[in-house]
Amino acid sequence: MNLLEAFIYSAIIALIAGTVLPLLYHSKNSRKASFVLSFLSSILLLIFAGIILYTGKEPSFPAFRFLPGLDFTLATDRLSAGFILLIAAVTLGVSIYSVEYVEHAKSEARKDIQAALTNLFILSMLMVVLAGNMVGFLVFWEIMSLSSLMLVLHDYTSEENKKAGLFYFIMTSLSTAFLFMGFMSLFSLTGSAEFGQLDYPTSSLTLPFLCLFTGFGIKAGLVPFHKWLPYAHPAAPSSISALMSGVMLKVAIYGFLRFLLSVATPELWWGTLILIAGTLSAILGVIYAIKESDIKRLLAYSSIENIGIIFTGIGLYLIFKLEGVESLALLSLVGACFHAFNHALFKSLLFLGAGSVVHATGTRNIEAFGGLIKRMPYTATLFLIGSVSIAGLPPTSGFVSELMIFQVYFNSSAIPDPLLKVLLIITLSVFALTSALAAALFVKLFGITFLALPRTKYAHEATEVPKPMLLGETIPAAFCILSGLFSSRILALLGFDLGIPDMLLLGLILAAACGLVWLAVRNSGPAKARMSKETWGCGILAQHPTMEYTSAGFSEPLVVIFKKIYRTEISSTRIYSDTRESIFKNGTARIHLIKFFEERLYLPVASAVSLVSSQVSKMQNGKLDTYVLYVFIAVLTLMTFTRYFA
Amino acid sequence: MNASFLLFTLLNTGFILLVSPLFMSLIKKVKASTQGRKGPNLLQSYFDLRKLMKKEVIYSPNSSGIMRITPYLNLAVLILASLFVPIVFIPEAPAGIGNIIVFLYLLAIERFFTALCGLDAGSTFGGMGSSRLMSLSAVIEPTMVIAFAALAYVLKTVNFHEMFAITAGSTIPKSPTLTLISISLFIIIIVETGRIPVDNPATHLELTMINEAMILEQSGKNLALIELAHAVKQTILMAVLINILAPWGLATKVTFAGLAVSCLYFLVKASLLAGVIGLFESSIAKMRLFRLPSFYMMAFFFSALTILMEVFA
Repeated sequence: MNLLEAFIYSAIIALIAGTVLPLLYHSKNSRKASFVLSFLSSILLLIFAGIILYTGKEPSFPAFRFLPGLDFTLATDRLSAGFILLIAAVTLGVSIYSVEYVEHAKSEARKDIQAALTNLFILSMLMVVLAGNMVGFLVFWEIMSLSSLMLVLHDYTSEENKKAGLFYFIMTSLSTAFLFMGFMSLFSLTGSAEFGQLDYPTSSLTLPFLCLFTGFGIKAGLVPFHKWLPYAHPAAPSSISALMSGVMLKVAIYGFLRFLLSVATPELWWGTLILIAGTLSAILGVIYAIKESDIKRLLAYSSIENIGIIFTGIGLYLIFKLEGVESLALLSLVGACFHAFNHALFKSLLFLGAGSVVHATGTRNIEAFGGLIKRMPYTATLFLIGSVSIAGLPPTSGFVSELMIFQVYFNSSAIPDPLLKVLLIITLSVFALTSALAAALFVKLFGITFLALPRTKYAHEATEVPKPMLLGETIPAAFCILSGLFSSRILALLGFDLGIPDMLLLGLILAAACGLVWLAVRNSGPAKARMSKETWGCGILAQHPTMEYTSAGFSEPLVVIFKKIYRTEISSTRIYSDTRESIFKNGTARIHLIKFFEERLYLPVASAVSLVSSQVSKMQNGKLDTYVLYVFIAVLTLMTFTRYFA
Repeated sequence: MNASFLLFTLLNTGFILLVSPLFMSLIKKVKASTQGRKGPNLLQSYFDLRKLMKKEVIYSPNSSGIMRITPYLNLAVLILASLFVPIVFIPEAPAGIGNIIVFLYLLAIERFFTALCGLDAGSTFGGMGSSRLMSLSAVIEPTMVIAFAALAYVLKTVNFHEMFAITAGSTIPKSPTLTLISISLFIIIIVETGRIPVDNPATHLELTMINEAMILEQSGKNLALIELAHAVKQTILMAVLINILAPWGLATKVTFAGLAVSCLYFLVKASLLAGVIGLFESSIAKMRLFRLPSFYMMAFFFSALTILMEVFA
């Protein structure tokens, strides 16, 4: 057994132990030990992934045999190592955070189960990425879906959570069904369940592509399959939201990339489809997020936006690869992967921060917050780092990946096809709008949550969260800053020379400039600042929190500008007391926000399915002889079929 | 880091910091004279800054650290951004300095923190300003990006330094498309510096307030820093337009005479542009907030047209 095998096996064993321990010994210490184990395993995984990324080794370890001929192997290459790095980096913070966070669950049993399932969830995501063939991939994919489902249903007594769980269950099963179909059609094409080079004519790969795109798209939360995200995230505990949004969506991206990169001759329309779907997800995600005032639902919509950005990068990769511009293709692929990594970190940071805020105030509604920066200064600082990073401000990591995609777009004059260029211009302007709206969104989220006066007594009485939770948030925050500052150096170390600006230099100049400005004005004016009695308000007697801007007020201009997209229906009926309709007597008015995808896409499909199944259920009467008759008819049909058609 | 870049840092940034307030007063002067007033002294902005520097800083007890760091951060960000736009000469800059995407996002940092600052004290005016600023800046962003992408399309580089080296090499604008982009860039200057018809820098009336609303709680030297940062932003954006449309005289080599000529030329050209901005502000009325997106569409149209012309040329 060599060093790499030792690393990976001990990481897996640690996670298994972490799953079993809290189920066997029901105590606070065993839960603590379980999270320590997942913390240790993530350190091992970080080293393991680092070695593989740096050396480019592609080890594979035979593990066990499902059936004769179906070995389960663990295989890694640089793609999966990148995603293992991502899983480990997020787990690092989440496991420390959970040590304290899990103790706030309602009952002892729930605490134990949450600790165990968290470990199982992490393990299953790791195994999906490590899986060397389709069978292993699907098995662990299903374990991943089910363990996360149970975590979403953690607080199962609430009516809202039951609905969220059901929604998530249907969507995730649908995703698995599509993946199954995609993998089956690949299997029938190649005759092998291994992930290998797919050197087949593209016409035969159209079906697998569409199935896998849909399957992974559902899991990743691509519009129009995104609706489960804003339901499932608020229902799940925050540490699980961090894992789901940070890691599980990326596992879907991994699966899609694994397929896409193995296809020898993809087609241009694939790239165009992915690009358009990505751009649409990005813009719709952020536009829906702007209107949201539930902190976790807002972050869920923002995840849809970021998944859109990642898919945009993948789409650009395909387009530029097929147009023969290798350097830009590489830049967009690395940009997409780097954005996946960055999003994992800043979104888990934001979800953990949101968890802290919800823990301190007891509500998810940001209209009830305010002034938390005074009460929870550390959480606020860490949340600000996350917000700055997700808004894509230099020199943080979120900026670097957006920069890469912008750079690809700006250099797109290199491709010859004029129509493709027009498509790129349109998607570029939408992409620009997305990133600016994201900045507006996080000004709103941070500003309304943490700044000004507390709006309710819950916010007023909030106190800083315990240290382990803060420490858990510090780790992704540090990643956000460091992987931004050292981005070009890290990428160079991995062998990617992409010619992106050096953020370290910019960061240093910025810090120096701040210092110089401070030095220059240090001695001017009176040394001590004075505190006024309160904020000036045109001579009002006392400032009151109700005078502050609210979340809904903040987003109102954007809601007006994009009212076509929100599809608000305003209807009214009036009754007049005279025939000439001039004296108003009575009436009703209604503002209805159409949930477009739910009402126009999901519900029609769901009602069609339930119509068919209600017909089918008529055939079930529970009597044995009826079923024997069915079997008889089935056998007869088969015999006729084989006689005449086979 | 080389000697040329260090010299550039000192000269370029120093020059921009020095002359920026001048253009603020110049625009006020032009507006005043079109309205038949005498207008302020040309050095008035410098006097104002000096006065503010001496005054004490007053904070609202509701405000947090955001209010305290933003003035410093904003000016620092704009000092960094000033390195991206050569005015005195074009140096051999390290890779990445001059990248137009980084430049756009440096402006975004300034916007982000100014907007947070507006929300910090909990005043209604501040919130209103932040909300409007972030909404309008989101709607103008596609225009800005497409305008800069059009520049990158025409000049085949994403670096300002290289762009200006290309334009400075020729005596007239290289292609008619650059003139089209200039219209968009002009509108971007108007929007980004908060001038009529988008915002009115001269009033403190809540109907028109965007930028003024957010800095209402700032005082003393913090306000001075913010005002200076605002002036620097205006100068930098003007310099981008000037170096694209009328790049004559920009030194590509370091000689004493060359530097002097660059500075002098820039002063003349920027004064003219400031005059044009003043006249533009005087000749147009403040638009309703929700009419602005269509005004932005115009700028978007010109820059998109440029790219389309390049694509199908």
